[in-house]
Amino acid sequence: MTQVASGQEPLRYLTEEPFYQPVGNELGVFMAAWGKRLPVMLKGPTGCGKTRFLEHMAWRLKRPLITVACHEDLTSSDLVGRFLIEGEETVWQDGPLTRAVREGAICYLDEIVEARTDTTVVIHPLTDHRRHLPIDKLGMEIGAHPDFLLVISYNPGYQTVLKDLKPSTKQRFVGMNFQYPPSALEKQIVMREAGLDAERAEKLVQAAAKARNLKDQGLQEVTSTRALVYAGTLMAAGLEPMEAVAAAIIHPQTDDPELAAALTEIFQTFFG
Amino acid sequence: MSAATEEILEHLDAVSFVAGRDARAALPAVLPLGETAALRFLETGRDLFFYDREAGKALFHATADLVQAFGGLDPWLAQARIFLTQRGTFRAAVGFFEQAATVCKQYGLDGEKIWFEEGAAWIPLHVDSAAAYFRMPVARLFGGLPAKDLQVLLAPAREFAKDRLGLASYLEGAVKVRALCGLAGVSHWAARGRDVLAAGRVRGEAWFRLESDESRAFLLEVLPGFRLGPHKRLFALLLQAWTGLYLPMEEGDWSAEGGRSFLETDGRSLFVPAVMPDREEAMLAFYHLGAHLAFGSYEEAAIQSLFREIGMEHPPLDADQRVTWRPLFARFGQDLLRFQLIFDILEDLRVDLAMEREMPGYLQRILAAAERCGPPPGSTAAAYWQEALVLTRQAQSHNLPQDLAVLASPTAGILDAFRLAMARYAETSLPPLQLAERAAAFLPGHSPNAARPVYPRRQKGAEGAEMDAGGNLGAAGHQEKPREAPQAAEGNDPDLEIPPEDIQGTGGRVGVGIPLPAKVHGSGRGVQGPKGGWPYREWDYRQGKYKENWARVHERKLRERDEVRAVEIAAQYQGTLQRLKKALQAQKPTRMAPLRRQKEGEEPDLDAAVQFVVERRAGQSPKANIYRQRRPLQRDTAVLLLADLSTSIMAEAGETGIRVVDRLQAAMLLFGEALLEVGDPFALYGFASKYHQEVLLYPIKRFDEPFDARARAILGGLSGRLATRMGAAIRHSVRQLQNSPAQRRLLLLLSDGRPADYDDGGDPRYLQEDTRMAVREALEQGVHCFCISLDPRGGEYLPLVFGNGHYLVLPHLDQLPQRLPEIYLRLRGQG
Repeated sequence: MTQVASGQEPLRYLTEEPFYQPVGNELGVFMAAWGKRLPVMLKGPTGCGKTRFLEHMAWRLKRPLITVACHEDLTSSDLVGRFLIEGEETVWQDGPLTRAVREGAICYLDEIVEARTDTTVVIHPLTDHRRHLPIDKLGMEIGAHPDFLLVISYNPGYQTVLKDLKPSTKQRFVGMNFQYPPSALEKQIVMREAGLDAERAEKLVQAAAKARNLKDQGLQEVTSTRALVYAGTLMAAGLEPMEAVAAAIIHPQTDDPELAAALTEIFQTFFG
Repeated sequence: MSAATEEILEHLDAVSFVAGRDARAALPAVLPLGETAALRFLETGRDLFFYDREAGKALFHATADLVQAFGGLDPWLAQARIFLTQRGTFRAAVGFFEQAATVCKQYGLDGEKIWFEEGAAWIPLHVDSAAAYFRMPVARLFGGLPAKDLQVLLAPAREFAKDRLGLASYLEGAVKVRALCGLAGVSHWAARGRDVLAAGRVRGEAWFRLESDESRAFLLEVLPGFRLGPHKRLFALLLQAWTGLYLPMEEGDWSAEGGRSFLETDGRSLFVPAVMPDREEAMLAFYHLGAHLAFGSYEEAAIQSLFREIGMEHPPLDADQRVTWRPLFARFGQDLLRFQLIFDILEDLRVDLAMEREMPGYLQRILAAAERCGPPPGSTAAAYWQEALVLTRQAQSHNLPQDLAVLASPTAGILDAFRLAMARYAETSLPPLQLAERAAAFLPGHSPNAARPVYPRRQKGAEGAEMDAGGNLGAAGHQEKPREAPQAAEGNDPDLEIPPEDIQGTGGRVGVGIPLPAKVHGSGRGVQGPKGGWPYREWDYRQGKYKENWARVHERKLRERDEVRAVEIAAQYQGTLQRLKKALQAQKPTRMAPLRRQKEGEEPDLDAAVQFVVERRAGQSPKANIYRQRRPLQRDTAVLLLADLSTSIMAEAGETGIRVVDRLQAAMLLFGEALLEVGDPFALYGFASKYHQEVLLYPIKRFDEPFDARARAILGGLSGRLATRMGAAIRHSVRQLQNSPAQRRLLLLLSDGRPADYDDGGDPRYLQEDTRMAVREALEQGVHCFCISLDPRGGEYLPLVFGNGHYLVLPHLDQLPQRLPEIYLRLRGQG
């Protein structure tokens, strides 16, 4: 029964460099944390580049990246692993976390607050000097591969009031704060990612800077860099600017007609 | 001079010295027309003088102008004889002589004929009406329209004469209505007025004088243009997006005077007119005013520098601590408006240039709007309008005159504009103008900058000052009303012991901006609080440590109940409630979630079954929890709603006449009904405080009590009292929540201002820091706090106290009842 299930696909290494435009010294901070194998917590609003950053770092460090998008029904056994039946045998299948621990991957738990609280308990021993993962069902503990790194992301927003991470959990991580990049960089990002010309990219970024002032006014999330890239992509694909903005930015962001009117007016000023 | 002429003059001399003198003075203007003409003139003059001394005098005084304007004596001299037909026409005659020349010059002989005939027709009917007509300044009477439109304007009035309604009453209103709604609006208004007049004379008069609410309401209804009321939020959002400012909006002065309505500010609130010509102009007005606010027109340091410039060390403040602008312009005496306008043009230019840097195409929009509406009638206002337009055009093409180039610099301030205005004023060719003409002188979206006294704004980034100086935070947008009689509560409720005058004055604040005596009674020293209660610690940021057992919380029952009010509210919000309930019911099926690994259930849980088999084979003895159950998901969230019941909730929000407490009652009722539907355990508490020894918690519904008629009646009778010591209230609520069995615990705070109490020494930061610590303690104990605030300035301190994402500012009080349950449902997570 302790046989490990065969036929699992090998871990994926990123072969092409994912584009990431550093804003501050986040590369330096991450490298330092990596050097000491300290777990990292990426904080920041939706679509500001947390996941992309991590992909980029995984590529740089030439480590495989295992991403787990956490959801409400995610239990610790989904992370750690479970028994399966194969023929007359029972086999143990590693969960994504266990695989990363064994094989020295970077394990990225995206939006960890969404997961059930028992998952956070599982990761605790991995986050301090012990660096091991207890697997109750196997009655064993596995020590982490020297290259294993745990990264979680966390969006301190409106919806997470009841799901906030416990301070004791947060304190186990090196925190990295992500914000939307400054205009000049954001413009570069939009140009590069969306394949958009400088003029329209500039307008998108300027308008977004204004639209972001509307935080606290019923917008749960403000216009993200990702939304700008989407809008830019649609424009580059030949859509009229305001159509692209409506489709990629305004409609997804709000159902409130007045907010939508305000956003339209703002973007219209630049693209009108 | 013929003998006949001499004879008349001597006759006049004999009767009155004044008459002879005035006639002789007038004669030179007439003599060139010939002897016969002079005779005719003197005869008419004499007749009028004998008929009525004042009328004659007026004729002689106006003669020179009249002859010049008409090029002779016709037809005005003949017209003048109409005043001989009735007694008491002198007032009409005086008006006629004073204005006939102007009418003739502006509207020609035909126009003058119409003007005269319209008035003359009233002489046999009602002399006073004729007087009112002829005495009305022609510019107002004609309103810049052709003379024949005058007939249209006056047509309805003849009919009203039969009902003994004088022209005076009608004309005043009609001219205003015409200015607002055009001639078509006048006939509409007059037709409605006829019915009103038929219903009662007094009511009718009030209608035509535009003095009654019904006539004002009617006007607002028919007013052409863009109504701002329904779009206030949109404008607030745009203003916030472009300038980062959020200001409360109040109803602007609406007058039936016609002309233009302006968006104004007092530095804290925006005063929004009911109607503006179109959406674009309204939007430009918001942007422009936002530019003034964002780029320092009303900033404290800038205003001080202005007053230093004219040699005043401190700007003069009125009773409300607002800066009054008057002294700045006083030195210009009669010519004050001219300077003010030049200053306005330059300052507008400065902030518009700054706005253009933020918002490309902004100047172009102003220019386009100006071209659409064209220059105003009347040469005086138009001169200023053109000047502003030309400068804006030059600014847009980066082609400003050398001396004004400094205004385009990002570092330019209002002082630069002021100095330039002084320089330009010294050599201006712009004409002097009257107050009445001023409104037309502004480009679309622009308005007088010094229209209202302002509360100086603190510079952004001077964060320390914002948080610590106190005094002028939180008070905006709320009328400070004397508090109402306190509500009775069991026990020795301290409301009854504080004399009302204690909370009047200046100094610290309680709740939202209710002034307190500057001198605090020794932090409550010597004030013996009631015995008992739960002691709680309080954080003192100045010492960086807790004061143990400092605050004492007492639970009190609210005795005042109002079943009727509760029923009223329920009826008023029936629609909202039904929608809410429907939404909750519709949601229920989706909220059925499978419970995994159950002992029994409708279907097997595959994962669990596999695990069961595996573990059995492995020789273990697992529990047979291999079923799935479908059952409404037990979110297992307990919520305690803690409402701030301080005095400030009795205040009216803005000018609406709606008190905060009205919506608070409704919100808590709806919240209760929604929670009943949802089935989550909940409790409702209110709190208030008076000094640290008496923090009062009023349980309206505890966790273990039902939400029944009693609780509803208490909500119906809710009223405000005392102050807001939030920290202790939070700590006590957390204790209540901990007794609840739920896993997730939410403390929902409902407030309309920052924490404050009588003994906080006027230091807003003290209780704010304590509240912050209380929120942190709550989190450590597994209770999440979320604050819903009605304070438009909540954004300044709520992030510090509750943390980002743990608060929400509701800009509109009216939304509270509907939003409160929604916010809760969103917080607890759906589905």
